[in-house]
Amino acid sequence: MSKKLISSIALISVATFLSAGDFNAVAEKDRKALQEYMEKKFSDLKGASTFFPYSTKDELEKNFIWGIKGKDFTIGSYSFNKGGKSQYDEINEMPPYEDAIDEGKEIYEKKFANGKSFKDCYPDPAIAGDYPKFDNKSKTVITLTNSINSCLKDNGEKEWKKTKGKLAKLEAYFASTSKEKGKKVNVVIDSKEAAEAYERGKKEYYTQRGYLNLSCASCHVQGAGKRVRNEYMSPLLGQTTHFPVYRLKWEGLGTLERRLKGCEKDTGQNPHKPGTKWQNEVLYFVAYMSNGLPIDGPSVRK
Amino acid sequence: MKRLLIVAATVAISATTAVAGDLAKEGEKIFMTKKLGNCLACHAVNGKSVNGPGSFGPKLQFLSSWPEQALYDKVYDPYTTNPISAMPAFGKNGLLDDNQIKAVVAFLKTIK
Repeated sequence: MSKKLISSIALISVATFLSAGDFNAVAEKDRKALQEYMEKKFSDLKGASTFFPYSTKDELEKNFIWGIKGKDFTIGSYSFNKGGKSQYDEINEMPPYEDAIDEGKEIYEKKFANGKSFKDCYPDPAIAGDYPKFDNKSKTVITLTNSINSCLKDNGEKEWKKTKGKLAKLEAYFASTSKEKGKKVNVVIDSKEAAEAYERGKKEYYTQRGYLNLSCASCHVQGAGKRVRNEYMSPLLGQTTHFPVYRLKWEGLGTLERRLKGCEKDTGQNPHKPGTKWQNEVLYFVAYMSNGLPIDGPSVRK
Repeated sequence: MKRLLIVAATVAISATTAVAGDLAKEGEKIFMTKKLGNCLACHAVNGKSVNGPGSFGPKLQFLSSWPEQALYDKVYDPYTTNPISAMPAFGKNGLLDDNQIKAVVAFLKTIK
């Protein structure tokens, strides 16, 4: 190959990389690499000792579902954890979150003091997969939780608690409608600033911190499928698809923000405030990783 | 005099053993307690039935043949011997104090 040809190829690839509309190029590459890693990790028993050096042979043979792919990851750790999956199926025969969906629908339709309602902010309630969004005007990441509170504020109403209660119920209705309509996670990165917010979120996800010196990735990338005591760690892929969730530990419904806060606390950190920049950018990255997976919320978790 | 010395030595040895036994017991409690060492979150122990030991770290075995100082250093700050370890630095990060780490080491020394 001539030198000239090589340099023109190089030029073309640089130009392609810089072209507009490609702001999600890095994120897409990350997402595909993550999916490939997770699929390889859970592909078969034969290669398992590479990824799970300290799991017993007995456990790997008896309690793992192997060969999971793509949208199988939507249900989190139940995609590979045989025992957990059967408990999950059992609970789902009478889902504890059903009333919350109905109440969420009432909240959606109920009029504000000014005569308007959430319907005016969200004509289509099947929007669970579209958040977090990057708002190119304010240059910030907006989660569904932020957006609901903005809608309240814009209509002269008081904002709601970001972790549970009415807000979680409304999100349950949004999620359930999205699931019914077959919606998928569809997080968009369409500007330079959005790509930068994604990068910051990713950096935080992979940074070790707190007393225990863990990163989110220690447990949910390298650690996915390993156990802390008896609990299997869920994979980063498929981590946001099922929120809000009814957690047995909470004995109630909670938002993604609430779960992230708990996760930080468990790893020996001072949790960041729900619905603020740090959390939002981390969630922007985390949700992007599940792009293309079906919405499966609300759901139930231990 | 000779006899007295022997008696004294015997007493000293049994006292040490008793203290070491207590210390190991205390260390085991720290090992198994969530709000203390919580070591069982990641490690199984050879020859001991542990309630749901995690699968993040290796099963602990043959530690009785490790020098005490090496065990202490590992618990205090694992990154000096393994920079990419996922184990927390229990001493350096102030999760356990000197006496607690010594107790954990006494327990680790009982692991065959």
